[in-house]
Amino acid sequence: MASNVKFAVKKVDFYYGNFKALDQIDMEIAQRQATALIGPSGCGKSTFLRCLNRMNDLIPGTRVEGEILLDGQNIYDSDIDVVNLRRRVGMVFQKPNPFPKTIFENVAYGLRVNGFKNKAALRESVEKSLLKAALWDEVKDRLNNSALGLSGGQQQRLCIARALAVEPDVLLMDEPASALDPIATQKIEDLIHELKNNYTIVIVTHNMQQAARVSDITAFFYMGRVVETGETEALFTRPGLKQTEDYITGRFG
Amino acid sequence: MERQNFHRELENLRLTLYKMAALTRQSFEKATQAYLDRDDDLAQVVIDGDREVNRIELEIDRQSLRLLALEQPMARDLRMIVGIMRISNDLERIADQSVNIAERTIFLCQHPPLEPVAAMGHLIDISKKMFNMAISSMREMDAKEAKKIPPLDDYADEYNMQVLKSLIEVMAASSPGFEKRVLKMRRSIQTIIISRCLERIADLSTNIGEHVAFIAEGVNIKHQQKL
Ligand SMILES: Nc1ncnc2c1ncn2[C@@H]1O[C@H](COP(=O)(O)OP(=O)(O)O)[C@@H](O)[C@H]1O
Ligand SMILES: [Mg+2]
Repeated sequence: MASNVKFAVKKVDFYYGNFKALDQIDMEIAQRQATALIGPSGCGKSTFLRCLNRMNDLIPGTRVEGEILLDGQNIYDSDIDVVNLRRRVGMVFQKPNPFPKTIFENVAYGLRVNGFKNKAALRESVEKSLLKAALWDEVKDRLNNSALGLSGGQQQRLCIARALAVEPDVLLMDEPASALDPIATQKIEDLIHELKNNYTIVIVTHNMQQAARVSDITAFFYMGRVVETGETEALFTRPGLKQTEDYITGRFG
Repeated sequence: MERQNFHRELENLRLTLYKMAALTRQSFEKATQAYLDRDDDLAQVVIDGDREVNRIELEIDRQSLRLLALEQPMARDLRMIVGIMRISNDLERIADQSVNIAERTIFLCQHPPLEPVAAMGHLIDISKKMFNMAISSMREMDAKEAKKIPPLDDYADEYNMQVLKSLIEVMAASSPGFEKRVLKMRRSIQTIIISRCLERIADLSTNIGEHVAFIAEGVNIKHQQKL
């Protein structure tokens, strides 16, 4: 198991001021698998996801306790380069947030920030990322058009391409399809299936069927705690705890 | 997200299954009663009643498929629906076996009785017991009760073998007149078929017990080492 662990989360507490939003989270996140986080609204899924690349650092008055090891190294150590951490652990949000620039520039952005200058290499890398995000065929003839002219689903895949361009190991996705129509949602789900061959994916979704479809491992959060983690198939067919069963069968929440 | 409407429909599905179980029990009870009492009117009631069981089975299939397609049930709810479909399938086959018993009984009623075979009485008792355990474990979704059924299956098999042996002896014993010998063989064979039906009903009751354990605990106790 040990070599297969991407994140080892140990006794993590998280506070917004005095409010404890995460309580003693212990969890291992397997490499090159999709892990889904489910649970009722406000249970701490997004908070937990943001802990994994220290996005919460950007929210004033917050505090983390415990350890989160990424490939064995604590990401909250003082000598960690947070910019590099966020390159390795990319994030895709609920609402697609492309920049008001061209399609090409959106994907190239992270590379430019990281000092990438060679034009041919840049172009090649943008193409590769768009291919991986299953968007290339739809945009290859209009790379210099504004990203804002794309549909919502295309914009979301563009954001995924942007995250992939800097060659991360991990993709965090916070309800990546909840603002999309069913067809665009289907494309994102297909993409997740594809991406998990090469990336570790952690996805928050309020859609349980989606969690069941796309993930290998599912963790059920409730009131800031992890109630149960297990293989997705087992968790959705025979959960170990009644609380999990009651939630996923819609008996509360 | 609470799913009250879905759970109401799931409850209705369960009630439909209970209704099917009650009808199947009636068929089985009446079929054995008709055999023991040599009552061909009662046997005919069993045959006529089978259409209703078949109708309910189709109804359960329809309701189950609809819930699977539209509600995408999870966990216990999912196992419940899959389990109900399997149980209704086995109930339908038990009702068919009861009809088969009734048909043989009508034939036997037209002729003088064979000498009684003790194992037949035991086989009726054990198959009834297993069936009733299956139904009560299903009502309570009681895995503990359900797991007591499979070990009884060996007894049913054994009694069935004993009936077969006894009736082979009956057939082998010489009696005067060709016509009489043929008729004795025909009655014996019909009785052997009834015995075989009862043994099948014991098997199907075992299956139901396995489905109940699957619904209640999510484990498959099928094909496990006999206890
Ligand atoms: N920026 C914030 N400041 C204060 N409290 C917050 C903030 N973000 C989230 N919370 C609180 O933390 C808890 C967990 O929220 P969140 O992680 O967004 O839950 P989820 O993603 O499961 O819906 C909630 O009670 C929420 O109100
Ligand atoms: Mg959230």
